[in-house]
Amino acid sequence: MRLNAFLQRLGIFLVDDQTHHSSSTAQYLNHQKQTMSQYFSNNTNTLNTINVSNKFIIADGRSDILAWLSPLDPTLRHHDTRDRRVENIGEWLLQTEEFIGWHTGSGGSESDNAVLFCEGNPGVGKTFIRLI
Amino acid sequence: MLTSYDVSSLVIDRLCERARGRNIAVACFYFDFASQKDQSPASVLGALLKQAVNGMERVPEGIAQAYENQKKAIGGLRPQLTDIVKMLQITSSEKPTFICIDALDECVPGNRVRLLDSLNQVLRESPGTRVFVTGRPQIGPEIRRRLAGKITTLSISPKRGDIIRFLHTRLDEDTDPDAMDSRLEAYILKGIPKDVSAM
Repeated sequence: MRLNAFLQRLGIFLVDDQTHHSSSTAQYLNHQKQTMSQYFSNNTNTLNTINVSNKFIIADGRSDILAWLSPLDPTLRHHDTRDRRVENIGEWLLQTEEFIGWHTGSGGSESDNAVLFCEGNPGVGKTFIRLI
Repeated sequence: MLTSYDVSSLVIDRLCERARGRNIAVACFYFDFASQKDQSPASVLGALLKQAVNGMERVPEGIAQAYENQKKAIGGLRPQLTDIVKMLQITSSEKPTFICIDALDECVPGNRVRLLDSLNQVLRESPGTRVFVTGRPQIGPEIRRRLAGKITTLSISPKRGDIIRFLHTRLDEDTDPDAMDSRLEAYILKGIPKDVSAM
């Protein structure tokens, strides 16, 4: 939801009261637009939590808490890596018993396979393909 | 060419896909030799925590409270490692959390020990937590020692995946396609051992 992303950049987080699950996306967006205009017209109170007609709660100050937790933002790195990734490479890994067992938590008690360690030395693949 | 970054980002994307619309948190961290001095255990775990909190409708009370408390100190205080561990225990017991850590071997050894011990504390407190780690085989014994009894190891040396993909392409290009059916193909692919170096 683009509007939500935009608001989040401004440090505004909309928390809805589940109304949009039963209404259409258009109605939901409309609600959000109203909420946003109310937010901006109500700028004397931006540092506090504002309750807008019991529909949405705008919790401000959240981005301050997130920034306080850590100065690092690894999601930027993730997006960079994802853009460079070759389509479908490594898909086989997601089909292994080890990955599926770890992901679904199957195979023994829950904490038995809580950690999946993928070990590898980058840099041997190309050579091997050339040998074939 | 399969690098650990590729594997990690692939896994993270898959986890995010599956987590969509469900009450599951996914958090990732990529280690990097070049940024070693910024990647302390507190800031790394803090970055994971940040992502877990970001996906929540509300900042958990315990975390909002800790934030308010530190503001009373002059200039504020960065959260300590023990605080972060406690907060991670709060978020991961509220919702199942997948933590992905890429290239753990690129973390300073002393920091790595503290990071693994902290992760172990989170795992002990919240058994629904899942941790995915990539790294060179050399750090395997250390991970096994610090996270005793909870670890499955999988080799991502690129060989096996690349060979399978390579053979798949060749089988597809076969000039006598009738000679090959999906069962025979599966049989051939199954014949490739997990540890290709044993071939």
